Amino acid sequence: MLSILLLIPFLGTALLLLLPGDPPPGRMRAVAITVLSLQLLWSLRVLLAFDPGEGALQMVESLPWVDSIGLDYRLGIDGLSMPLVLVNAALTLVSAVCTRDISQRPRIYFALLLLISGAVNGAFLADNLLLFFLFYELELIPLWLLISIWGGADRAYAATKFLLFTAVSGVLILGAFLGLALFTGSVDFSLSPVLSDRLSMGSQLLLLGALLIGFGIKIPLVPFHTWLPDAHTQASTPVSVLLAGVLLKLGTYGLLRFGLGMFPEAWAVVAPWLAIWAAVSVLYGSLAAIAQRDMKRMVAFSSVGHMGYVLLAAASATPVSLLGAVFQMVSHGLISALLFLLVGIVYRKTGTRDLEVLRGLLNPERGLPFTGTLMILGVMASAGLPGMAGFISEFLVFRGSLPSYPLATLLCMVGSGLTAVYFLLLVNRAFFGRLAITPPTDPARDSRLDVRLAGVAPRETLTTLGLALGVVLLGLVPATLGHLSESTTALLAGLPSLVVASSGAGGLG
Amino acid sequence: MSPAPSLPIQLVWLIPLYGFGGMVLSLPWASGWVKRNGPRPAAYLNLLVTLLAVLHGSLILREVLTIGPQHLEIPWFQAADLDLRIGFDLSLTNLAALELVTFMSLICQVFALGYLDKEWSLARFYALVGFFEGAMSGVVLSSNLFLSYFLLEMLTLSTYLLVGFWYAQPLVVTAARDAFLTKRVGDVLLLMGLVALSAWAGSLEFNDLYAWSAQADLSPLAATLLCLGLIAGPMGKCAQFPMHLWLDEAMEGPNPASILRNSAVVTCGALVLLKLMPLLRLSPVAIDVLLVVGTISALGGALVAIAQVDLKRAFSYSTTSYLGLVFLAIALQLPGVALLLLFAHGLAKALLFMSVGSVIATTNCQDITELGGLGRRMPATTGAYLVAAAGLTGLLPLGCFWCFGLMVERMAAMAPLFAGVVLLTNALTAFNLVRVYRQVFLDTPHPKTKRTPEVNWLMALPMVSLTVLVLLTPLVIGRIDPSPGIASFSWLTTGLVVASGASGVFVGALVPLDKFWSRSVVRPLRTLQDLLAYDFYTDRIYRATIVAFVAGLAQLTNAFDRVVVNGLVNRIGVGSLASAEALKLGVSGHLQTYVLTVVLAIVLLFSSLSWFRG
Repeated sequence: MLSILLLIPFLGTALLLLLPGDPPPGRMRAVAITVLSLQLLWSLRVLLAFDPGEGALQMVESLPWVDSIGLDYRLGIDGLSMPLVLVNAALTLVSAVCTRDISQRPRIYFALLLLISGAVNGAFLADNLLLFFLFYELELIPLWLLISIWGGADRAYAATKFLLFTAVSGVLILGAFLGLALFTGSVDFSLSPVLSDRLSMGSQLLLLGALLIGFGIKIPLVPFHTWLPDAHTQASTPVSVLLAGVLLKLGTYGLLRFGLGMFPEAWAVVAPWLAIWAAVSVLYGSLAAIAQRDMKRMVAFSSVGHMGYVLLAAASATPVSLLGAVFQMVSHGLISALLFLLVGIVYRKTGTRDLEVLRGLLNPERGLPFTGTLMILGVMASAGLPGMAGFISEFLVFRGSLPSYPLATLLCMVGSGLTAVYFLLLVNRAFFGRLAITPPTDPARDSRLDVRLAGVAPRETLTTLGLALGVVLLGLVPATLGHLSESTTALLAGLPSLVVASSGAGGLG
Repeated sequence: MSPAPSLPIQLVWLIPLYGFGGMVLSLPWASGWVKRNGPRPAAYLNLLVTLLAVLHGSLILREVLTIGPQHLEIPWFQAADLDLRIGFDLSLTNLAALELVTFMSLICQVFALGYLDKEWSLARFYALVGFFEGAMSGVVLSSNLFLSYFLLEMLTLSTYLLVGFWYAQPLVVTAARDAFLTKRVGDVLLLMGLVALSAWAGSLEFNDLYAWSAQADLSPLAATLLCLGLIAGPMGKCAQFPMHLWLDEAMEGPNPASILRNSAVVTCGALVLLKLMPLLRLSPVAIDVLLVVGTISALGGALVAIAQVDLKRAFSYSTTSYLGLVFLAIALQLPGVALLLLFAHGLAKALLFMSVGSVIATTNCQDITELGGLGRRMPATTGAYLVAAAGLTGLLPLGCFWCFGLMVERMAAMAPLFAGVVLLTNALTAFNLVRVYRQVFLDTPHPKTKRTPEVNWLMALPMVSLTVLVLLTPLVIGRIDPSPGIASFSWLTTGLVVASGASGVFVGALVPLDKFWSRSVVRPLRTLQDLLAYDFYTDRIYRATIVAFVAGLAQLTNAFDRVVVNGLVNRIGVGSLASAEALKLGVSGHLQTYVLTVVLAIVLLFSSLSWFRG
């Protein structure tokens, strides 16, 4: 059942690469969309078969592969990975649908898109450390290519930076996994908590540290975030959607699954520091976002801030906060994808993303009123306005974390307030006021009153509308996702409190 | 609940949905999908659903009058020890507030049909008003803090959108921004309080919270911070000092929304505070803060109002001032009086803003120094103004007179100082109202007011109906009948209230109002005038402090990010390239050297690993 989630995109990749002759780009896109729709349908099929009452991995598929190094082909799904698999399927489909201007090597472009989607599915489903690592690395190169071939003017720098950072992340993660084998002396790469009867605390901390930095680069957490704004600004819109919506979640997923899940004891030791790290990350990302002029950079920095909530939730590791972490992953996936799509529309219609230049895009006849309306919805969702997905996620995270780490939680809430500041500035500057898309300092062009932006194509209105609906639905009926993930997060939250119950730390206040 | 509640009560959750439904129904017109026949159908649909909300509310009210208060809960989200519910408390207070809110919304929507007659985005306005109304009617009915917060935030959003309705104008842009951010600050603080309460008390039902607060064991610091967080939200909503700036700027929005904002929205904020009142006993500091904030808002607002020349702003500051009085009443644990004042003020202020709206719609002018002589030409508007003014001040026995009487009587016993604040506010408000009346309605007609016919019936009808209602306020208050009766104050108090009102009217009637000298030439007086006219320079203080602080911090972070973090990464990149260049020269071609290097590295790696393992 789960293997099909890998087979669909991988076969799709092969199909695209092997399509005979020289089919037009439109056909390539149609094939990719079909394959991704199949993937989405099959993800929904898995959802139907999924038993939310069961916290542990289910639908496990196992095939011995390379036994000698402990690499098994083992897949499983639980309440942590199920929502992310759905988000992956939905957002890859969105990014394929909204792809435009694919005159340049469409075959490779769509093949890479499918490859990424499959690899991400694999990483979310893998029930073996090495298998996870394989998929984690498999997604890296295609994304690097997507940025460095179809990116903006400064793409070489951004792509290289992305590659180097993520490669370091991969090395650290692999190092931690291999170190585990080395320290324990067995090639057991299954996902079971490593407790102090098997491994001393010092080694645990070392391995966890490597994982934290490795996944911290991917999430990204301050100070390892610097690749993200560059990658986003240079990547094309569909790639940004994928990067922010899906790939960053690999980092938080890894943190929860392998950091918290495998080293609960060491986790409990470092958790207070992680909470502080989260607060720093949130405030740093939010403050840096305020100072940005480029809309896309601003959204990218907001990602840095908002992913910090997940770390805070993971640090406190209460049932509520971990559920909040899942919510935050999903809602950030949807909201940031929506925002990147909208910024992409603005960029293509006006040729700029500069907040000092853009004015009055909400103009009903000549501007982008639909985009503007959804943008207001998106930024409000991101700022945590109730009725949308951002609010319930943040509420759960804060509610779960406040008893354990009051100061860090309050600081993160300040970060949530700052989100309102920078996103309101974005809307106020770019969408309110009198319509202008050229800098006011340029008298020759500034006198232009005949700005008339073309309408937005359905492929973009439909995708953005769909995401916006998802954001609102999740905000109004959060019980659906909560039902899906609660058993797993409760199980996960039980790990550290089980371990440190005697020392009195953790748990609910 | 012995008998099963009737259908209207079971369907109470529909009441907020009427407003939200109205918004959804307007979308086809607001978004421009339907262009034929203009945007009017959206307005009619909204009027219809609002009418439904009013009727539904009155059905429930009638039933609750006979069978007593009801409580309804719907589970919303449940996880681990967290249980979030949608709860409605159908008490008489809440239902009265609901009727106020929905009725206000209804007549504002009728008024808006006239006021925004030529507005091309009428449908968007109605969609936003529907959203506004839905949020408000939910807030007043909600039985738990979570739902209240949820809807208060929606109010923040809809205020932002309504203030920013004419988003192409630069002043509107800043007004909308300030309205959102100021309220958002209050909301985030309230969220902190909410999260803390949720974690500490478990349930967020107001009744459970009261029970919890009676035996809560909190450190004084935690209790103080909690209570300060809780009062911050209502402070922002009610435009209390120091978060009062937005209400004045929000006057850039369309007038019908101003009517709602100054009557219904502030009432919602104050009602939430009223519901939180029993929790405030946890912290004496929070009570003191409420008293200080209420006093400053009441007196400061009344003073600043006097110095305004903008017709709408002159009265928006007065809203801050009256809500300050409500805060005082709440801080002194006088919930009954606070409610009465909210009710009387809400009606009278709405009428005042309707009258002002009529003046603006007819003259297209908001500057009172350019208006004059409207009294004889616009009788309905003038009548509305006079009745509203009488309803707002304690002079004639209309709504606020009785409220002030009760307040002064109670406060004189507890804290005479605050009774003085009430009387002074009354005098200042009376002065302001008379001053504006003389300039706008008396006096000789000015160039801008030569042709000023009375407003059309769509505006006149709601205005006249509300005039009648304000005249009837004392009867309504009498029906609600607070214990120990609406007139339970002494003759001395009556004398004081009347005297304060009369002195305000007297001074207001005598003070010279020369338009050319509206800004005095006497230096000290002029400084004072400017100080008040510019609202104690609050916006500049904000810009110099909090705004500059956040902006500076942001620039600092950004500079740090670019120079230090990014610079370091780039330096490492360049450094490794350079070292590769250097190493290139060290390539000897001897296989032995390579093997030796690799072996050394492996030995180092393993020895370090075994050290960690030990």
